[in-house]
Amino acid sequence: MVKVAYYPGCALKDRSSHLDASARDAAERLGFQLDELESWTCCGAVPPVSRERVMNLVASSRILKNTRDSGRDLLVTICDFCYNTLKRTNHRIRKDEITRRRINTYLAQEKPERDYIEETASPWTDYAGEVRVMHLMEYLRDVTGYDEMRKRLSRPLEGLKLAPYYGCVMLRPENEIGLDDPEDPSIIEGFIEALGARVVNYPYRTECCGSYLSVSDPDVSTRLSYKILSSAAGKGADAVILSCPLCFHNLDSRQEAISRVFPGFKPIPVFYFTQLLSLAMGGDRDRQGFSRHHVDVSGVVDSIFAEKERQ
Amino acid sequence: MKRIGVFVCHCGINIASTVDVQKVAEEVGKMPGVVFATDYIYMCSDPGQALVREKIREENLDAVIVAACSPNLHESTFRTAAGEAGLNPWQLEIANIREQCSWVHSDREKATEKAIRIVKAMVEKTRLNESLDPISVPITRKALVIGGGIAGIQAALDIADAGYEVILVEKEPSIGGHMAQLSETFPTLDCSQCILTPKMVAVGKHGNIELMTYSTVEEISGYVGNFTVKIRRKAAYVDWSICTGCGQCTEVCPAKVPSSFDRNFSTHGAVYVPFPQAVPNKPVIDREHCIHFKTGKCGLCEKTCEIGAIRFDQEDQVFRREVGAVVVAAGYDTLPLSELKEYGAGRVPDVIDGLAFERLLSASGPTNGEIRRPSDGKVPKEVVFVQCAGSRDPERHKPYCSKICCMYTTKHALLYRHRVHDGQPYIFYIDIRTGGKGYEEFYHRAEEDEGIIYLRGKVAKIFRDGAETVVWGTDTLTGKNVEIRADLVVLATAVIPRKSTARLVRKLHIQAGPNGFLAEAHPKLRPVESINSGFYLAGAAQGPKDIPESVAQAGGAACKVISLFSRNRLEQDPAVAWVDEDLCGGCRICISVCPYDARKFDEEKGIAVVNEALCEGCGSCVAACACGATQQKNLTDVQIKNMITASLGGK
Amino acid sequence: MSKTSLPPPENLPMRLTRDTVSEGFKKRVAELSGQNPDSCYQCGNCSSGCPLACEMNILPSRMMRLVQLGQEETVLESGTIWICASCFQCTVRCPRGIDIQSVMDALRQIALDLGTDHFGPDQVTPEQAATVPQPGLVSLYRKLST
Repeated sequence: MVKVAYYPGCALKDRSSHLDASARDAAERLGFQLDELESWTCCGAVPPVSRERVMNLVASSRILKNTRDSGRDLLVTICDFCYNTLKRTNHRIRKDEITRRRINTYLAQEKPERDYIEETASPWTDYAGEVRVMHLMEYLRDVTGYDEMRKRLSRPLEGLKLAPYYGCVMLRPENEIGLDDPEDPSIIEGFIEALGARVVNYPYRTECCGSYLSVSDPDVSTRLSYKILSSAAGKGADAVILSCPLCFHNLDSRQEAISRVFPGFKPIPVFYFTQLLSLAMGGDRDRQGFSRHHVDVSGVVDSIFAEKERQ
Repeated sequence: MKRIGVFVCHCGINIASTVDVQKVAEEVGKMPGVVFATDYIYMCSDPGQALVREKIREENLDAVIVAACSPNLHESTFRTAAGEAGLNPWQLEIANIREQCSWVHSDREKATEKAIRIVKAMVEKTRLNESLDPISVPITRKALVIGGGIAGIQAALDIADAGYEVILVEKEPSIGGHMAQLSETFPTLDCSQCILTPKMVAVGKHGNIELMTYSTVEEISGYVGNFTVKIRRKAAYVDWSICTGCGQCTEVCPAKVPSSFDRNFSTHGAVYVPFPQAVPNKPVIDREHCIHFKTGKCGLCEKTCEIGAIRFDQEDQVFRREVGAVVVAAGYDTLPLSELKEYGAGRVPDVIDGLAFERLLSASGPTNGEIRRPSDGKVPKEVVFVQCAGSRDPERHKPYCSKICCMYTTKHALLYRHRVHDGQPYIFYIDIRTGGKGYEEFYHRAEEDEGIIYLRGKVAKIFRDGAETVVWGTDTLTGKNVEIRADLVVLATAVIPRKSTARLVRKLHIQAGPNGFLAEAHPKLRPVESINSGFYLAGAAQGPKDIPESVAQAGGAACKVISLFSRNRLEQDPAVAWVDEDLCGGCRICISVCPYDARKFDEEKGIAVVNEALCEGCGSCVAACACGATQQKNLTDVQIKNMITASLGGK
Repeated sequence: MSKTSLPPPENLPMRLTRDTVSEGFKKRVAELSGQNPDSCYQCGNCSSGCPLACEMNILPSRMMRLVQLGQEETVLESGTIWICASCFQCTVRCPRGIDIQSVMDALRQIALDLGTDHFGPDQVTPEQAATVPQPGLVSLYRKLST
């Protein structure tokens, strides 16, 4: 089985570990293995504002350099934040020579002790952005292919109406990310169709859910989440599908607050893309961590299984 | 009785949506003599014109009415079509049921009734129309260009290069105009003098151009193709025919006269050449400031001039010239600072206008291109530029946009920044208008890379406080007021017509608009022609314009002149005044009212006759004539009475 | 007794000098963000599309304008910099190619360098600390505290 270097990131390793499990399960059903890096740290979550604060790029650079040094040229992640950080760091290393040189100056100080003792140690090579950073969604589109996914479907999500939610950091800033058109993306739509489900168009798919403001200013995040969810529901979506653990947290857990502030709001299930991928590929419903959702998803999940039985 | 055909145009829905065109055709078709009446969607289209031609032949029509848009637009179209079908073109008339009916009404029933009456009136007029032949006159193939700025220079060169003779008249001692005063030109920043002087020299040397500087047009008579002009050359008190332009007289003159070319930042003698690159490079004596003229003494220049070119006894000369066309390129001025009371009324020394700042920037200017403020010669570090100083202010100053200020102010700020690296330019503006090739990019560069601060708001007040000039403004983009203690303030004063333009308008019998700029015949389709035939417009005298536009318009005007000169004879509309010699009592009232000098008294016959070539058919003399001796061809009193009757619903 | 008092300082005219409009604060923002604030021509696109505009007391385009004129106090005291969620909508839409999100980052950085955290780790509730995914907490700390 093909092994693909995999960077889970903190959230997926820890409090969103159920999403990590579903991703690994789905990958294996599609014929490749998410091969977690041997050792890794937090990516830093946000790149710094300027060249002079290059320190903030060191963590993500180290991850990329270690990937290259382990002999791999592709790194897959399933968290939008990690994807954004790793990809932009990589982009800056590739495009800006000063950033590249300053970062490698830091990284060089982390040479293992043996490199100082043994004369025979391999010479230091600057990391110059050799690794390609990919989102799992991107890997499925560009490497696996939607046709291949369709062929391997064992439980197509027929009849299910899904609202794609992109949020911010998966698409923007486009000149550094370049995954899709930031104003009219289609990658999640393609993914939804590859699973046999139907796409629900609604205007809020690329609007911000409030990100970290859900901690510092929860009311703001509640209002933003309400706009997104009510728009999707208003267009007839059965559920929202997304690929960022923070968006997942906001859109799922804020629904209790939304219901209090906006009477008449009807909760709508939120899925991580890996969960639906796993189910569609024949995965077990008990391995998706659905019990950890704030909004009950059983109605939608039941319908997926019922649909399969009808066929 | 004439056989008359009527064609009613829908003009798409322009007429048909308000006027029941079928009913118009039907009603008019009932009139006696109207043997054919129809409606059609676009009469001016090829099939529409073909229909007119076809029916003229088929129905053997003696006269045709096309009920459509204003005759300004398509009268000649349909008259040509009528001519092609063998009908005398003056037997075709237009009834205007669009501008004068459908466009200004909304009640369909009433509008239809009005349209019917308009067409009926035209039918009544046409019944009595005579067949006319165009008036044919010869052409003098020589042009007069008035004004020696860039527009006049360009027009003169273009006409002369085409092989025709040109007389270029300039009232200043040298050609060059305002462009000669400028430092560098937007958006490419080429040196103004460097691109202008070759053209000035070319004018001076051109075999087809008679250059008359220090001269003004005194009088003009005649008509297109055949004008007679009187040109007055002011006494220069220097015999230019022998003067070598050595400049010794200008060096010895003890008088000090503020240089208007340098916006009073420098002085020259009473005998002077306005600037070193002047064409012709010959001095003039300013009689008002000359010590010899004031006291009878001095005469240093006369003593210095070895060849004896100084002639204190010289007098103005008047020349008579025959020309066929006139290009008016009289140029512009800027609103005097004294008009801008809120900005110090010209009394604050460090508040200057844009042309003055050009002189400070100019390498050949009074400061050799160093930016030094007038009050104390200090290099200003905080410089405020104020746009729309007198423009876009219908209440107190000028209602129009002066058009060139956004760009030249940006250029000023940018050049200032290049000269004074640690200086800070600010530009107060209402809108930034950069509609020209490369203009927006130039503005972006200034804003983005040159550190120029643009502040969106009109300055309310400028006053002196010690050595500083205080500017009270606002920035509507932050919603906050701004106060700047400036070292120098440059006002982008409104572009206005020259004072002399109004006099010129009267002398030439041409038209000016409400703001004093020369009026074009049509704002879109005839932008380089005056309403009066034979007169063409170029440059900022017609409206605020920058150099590329002035040059383009001058080229356009020249082209019109060349096209006129390329014809053998000129044909004119024959619908002019006509005199019944038996009725004319010789009272001469017609002569006094004619704006075109077309009426003359015939001493032999004792009556007032019409010069058909001069007559524009305006009808003034017809209205003035007490005994009804003067009639307008095809618009006689009887025709007018019949039209009125039809308009009122009679007959 | 008549009460006399000065008008509120924010109502006074801005006193613009070479220093305020080109040095100091404005230069620091430009250096930190890597963006040229003078590139902004005030079209307002950033404000129009900002998902948090209705939560802000000063809209993003006006923040850019205030930076252009070096209005440090007004900028740093506005709540806008703490409401901006770094969603990059403004950045991808700016017709002049300004990374406005980075300008906001720079402003936050300058404000934080001056003193206290806007929202420190001690303000995070135990429940939040236990449930919010790490990217949320890490970016929060990085953007709203030193």
